[in-house]
Amino acid sequence: MSGDLLVQLFLSGIGMGFIFALIAIGLTLIYGVMNVVNFAHGEFLMLSMYASYLAFATWGADPVVTLPFVAVMMFVFGLLVYYLLVRRVMQGSMNSQIFATFGLMVFMQAAAQFIMGADYFAVRSGLLSGVLEVGPFTLPAPQLAAVVGASTATGALYWLVFRTATGRSLRAASQDRQAASTLGINVDRMYALAWGIGAACVGIAGSLLSNFYPVFPRVGAMFVLIAYVAVALGGFGSIHGALVAGVIIGLLKVLAGFFISSQLKFVPVYLLYLIVVLVRPRGLFGRL
Amino acid sequence: MKSLALAGLLGVLLVVPLALSDRPFELRMMVVIFLYAMLGHGWNILGGYAGQISVGHGLFFGLGAYTSTVLSLKLGLNPWFGMAAGGAVAAAAGVLVGIPCFRLKGHYFVIATLVVAESAFQLFIAWDWVGGAMGLQLPVQEQGLLNLQFHRNKVPYYYIALGLLAAVTALVWWLENSRFGYILRALRDDEEAARSLGFSPASYKLLAMALSAGIVGIGGVFFAQYVLFIDPFSVLALSFSVVIALIPILGGAGTVAGPILGAIVLVPISEYSRVLFSGTGRNVDLLIYGFLIMLISVYRPDGLAGLFRARRERREYVPG
Amino acid sequence: MYTRNPVGRFIVLFCLVFWLGLAHSADEVRIGALYPLSGQVAKSGEDTVNAIRLAVEIINNKYPDLGIPFAATEGLPALGNAKIVLIVADHQGSPETGAAEAERLIVQQKAVALIGAFHSSVAATSSQVAERMGVPYISGESEATTLTERGFKWFFRTTPSSRTQARDFFTFLRELNKRSKDQIKTIAVVHENTLWGQEFAKSVEGYMPEFSDFKLIADISYQQGTADVTSEVLRLIAAKPDVVFHASYDAEAILFARTYKQYKFSPRGVMAIGAAFGSSAFREALGPDANFYLVREHWSRDLASKNPVVAQVAKLYRDRYGKDMDGTPARAFVAMMTLADAINRAGSTDPKKIRDALAATNLAPDKLIMPWTGIRFDQTGQNDLTRGIFVQTLDGAPRMVWPFDQAAAKLVWPRPAGR
Repeated sequence: MSGDLLVQLFLSGIGMGFIFALIAIGLTLIYGVMNVVNFAHGEFLMLSMYASYLAFATWGADPVVTLPFVAVMMFVFGLLVYYLLVRRVMQGSMNSQIFATFGLMVFMQAAAQFIMGADYFAVRSGLLSGVLEVGPFTLPAPQLAAVVGASTATGALYWLVFRTATGRSLRAASQDRQAASTLGINVDRMYALAWGIGAACVGIAGSLLSNFYPVFPRVGAMFVLIAYVAVALGGFGSIHGALVAGVIIGLLKVLAGFFISSQLKFVPVYLLYLIVVLVRPRGLFGRL
Repeated sequence: MKSLALAGLLGVLLVVPLALSDRPFELRMMVVIFLYAMLGHGWNILGGYAGQISVGHGLFFGLGAYTSTVLSLKLGLNPWFGMAAGGAVAAAAGVLVGIPCFRLKGHYFVIATLVVAESAFQLFIAWDWVGGAMGLQLPVQEQGLLNLQFHRNKVPYYYIALGLLAAVTALVWWLENSRFGYILRALRDDEEAARSLGFSPASYKLLAMALSAGIVGIGGVFFAQYVLFIDPFSVLALSFSVVIALIPILGGAGTVAGPILGAIVLVPISEYSRVLFSGTGRNVDLLIYGFLIMLISVYRPDGLAGLFRARRERREYVPG
Repeated sequence: MYTRNPVGRFIVLFCLVFWLGLAHSADEVRIGALYPLSGQVAKSGEDTVNAIRLAVEIINNKYPDLGIPFAATEGLPALGNAKIVLIVADHQGSPETGAAEAERLIVQQKAVALIGAFHSSVAATSSQVAERMGVPYISGESEATTLTERGFKWFFRTTPSSRTQARDFFTFLRELNKRSKDQIKTIAVVHENTLWGQEFAKSVEGYMPEFSDFKLIADISYQQGTADVTSEVLRLIAAKPDVVFHASYDAEAILFARTYKQYKFSPRGVMAIGAAFGSSAFREALGPDANFYLVREHWSRDLASKNPVVAQVAKLYRDRYGKDMDGTPARAFVAMMTLADAINRAGSTDPKKIRDALAATNLAPDKLIMPWTGIRFDQTGQNDLTRGIFVQTLDGAPRMVWPFDQAAAKLVWPRPAGR
């Protein structure tokens, strides 16, 4: 085992971690604002990957070029999901919200298969399909893009949430719905905004991923389980928590896959989650 | 009035197999409805009454199924003993999972149940001693109640499933009106208040977990004896855990009727839509299934049991 | 109440449609097909059923130009030109559902024979139902070795088992070592962790004593549906095998090939079981990088050079379903044709007679579309006349390169580095 390989393992692990983080950020934002876990988050990812692929197949447009359009499309889609579905179950219990987004998940997967079939589609030699070589080390371009994307998204969300008037309203709506309403904040609109931004974030993730991953109806399921664990590990609602947890998980997974067993590489990740929340019941950075 | 209607229903259910003698598909669907309703009851004790949402109950189902099957294959033990052992192992596993996880609240608990079940799923796939991904096939034995195997005629499975469901329903019914049930609901609605009244939340939750996991484990044993083949994908997969939770939530969490209603609605929808529409290879069945789930969550956020309650109340308020 | 309750309305509708669909007439041969048509492998299930549908179409109608049995006539001649009615059922990859559907097809749909089931786990439970009820069951693509080791009387399999297929990898390498100075010694196995992948890895391991000129230096089992294979590829790079054996499904095949390229992992050859590393999705996704992957196949269009029917059937398939035929549909097609041949020889729809006819099957290679030397079932119900081929993607097209004496194109070995 050479030192170079060890460094490469760390680099690859961190790179993968940023991909998980990018997916997790949108999920944690929605949760942070309105305490709802979107079980269809993986299908949002799938939708944006299909959009990127279709743009590529129809117009030959590279996913990097169409990224802003996919993000906007997903923003609108997030608003639609909020107004058509989520808003109607906000009065109910946690059960009914789990139930509604679960139904959406099944529906979106089935709809994807209905329209596109179960085939695998992939963007061929996109702008981000290559690698960057630094000395003996390999840095895959999609992972580098995820590093940039996740860091930018985190920074932008922080700026939005903590530096703008809209952000103040978002925070107010998330902390105390009633109080925010009496202060004249349109809570409903803030919730919709959270869904829009959350969906746009995962849209960016899907755009970047479509450079490397084939898209098919169940592609979301490949990523989303880890995204849930990342969100919980980082602390529900914490944006930088999701980022840090995503990176930790990516790293641990690659190391475990190399040194322990590749078919059980997720088990240490799950164990880490259990250990962390037993010590800190709100995850690494969750609000108490 | 109510008990009379129930007795009538039970009577009808007892003679249903006579009408389904040449319709194995419908007979099997009834068995699946009974089994899923029973699993839903099991989940409901923890999720509905005690308010601890688990999306990892497939673990207990799988443990039950694997326990009895392994005991039968490796030690030649009778499946009825396996049923007791399967329930006990599942209940013990529930307590083991519960001790650390009950310290967690809300979605942190949900994700904890999810990762525990998923880890077990992965470990069973990798574990050669229990067949790994290839699963375990139970040898065909002489049919009869003793071996809990019926080959030519599946009607006995119907009665066994019905019996199990009736027993569990009775247990939940008793539970709902018992002191234990009141304490569980108090814990769910306001844990601090319950604690200040001197109840220890941890021990009551653990008891609920043991009961819940045990019932689901027994369901797993029944499934193993019914199919005579188990593998991690059919008894431990996450999608199955979600179905176990979905049934009582759809029917109405925290009610006796909820899991039964949920199973009565969910199983036929998924079965008939599969038979009728899936030949297209386009997933029309799941399209409908997903749409209906959204529809119900929007119009009946408390589950289908709420439908009946609302109707009854409306009727009661009609003057004259 | 019901008008306001969409759930109730759906149930009533379902029941109505279901009961209406049961009537059927007597001068037809009803065959039940069990395949996954929803969920994860719906695509493969659909492609496979389509091949069976094509076979039924050819049997039931006149295709005078086609040189295979039953093409020239309408229906089955020995049964007064009775037509085959195919009832397709979806088992969703669930062994329990598969068994239930088998029972429904036999009892309620009056199927006289079953064909299925893609997943070996489903074939295991559904064939148990058929065995119990005394209905013949034929499988053209369920590969688990154990299926024909159960002592069943009613189960027949035309496809080679996993174990038989794994042997071809070693035979191929041995022949290669005889022909070149560049000796292959070390092997790594990379496989997904469901039944199919695990069984392949076990079979490879089982052959090691017999083929002791090779050394197995890494056995990497990965979780099916994984999103990232970096650690797996880095392990391969650390192990430096001469050859990699692969058992992967479509999405992961694409993922592995792309990750190999990123990390410049270039063994002398990558040889895969199953079609994923040569599928059209794979070639589409990877472009020139799809070249040089070797796939142990059952079927290739290159077989047409020896047997013109292959091209005709492949064209019919392409015209009807807008897709190229590959190994699994081809095998299912042949299984259906074998079943039809047995029913015709039985001259009856009595399941017992069909079973006996199946057991006496002896089909010559020119009546098939396979590279096999024929179809003949041994005591266990396994076809013992199968033969495998290796197909290599060259210039974006899958070409048959092994057996060497039948090759349609010259094998490129070792793979050019940097690919």
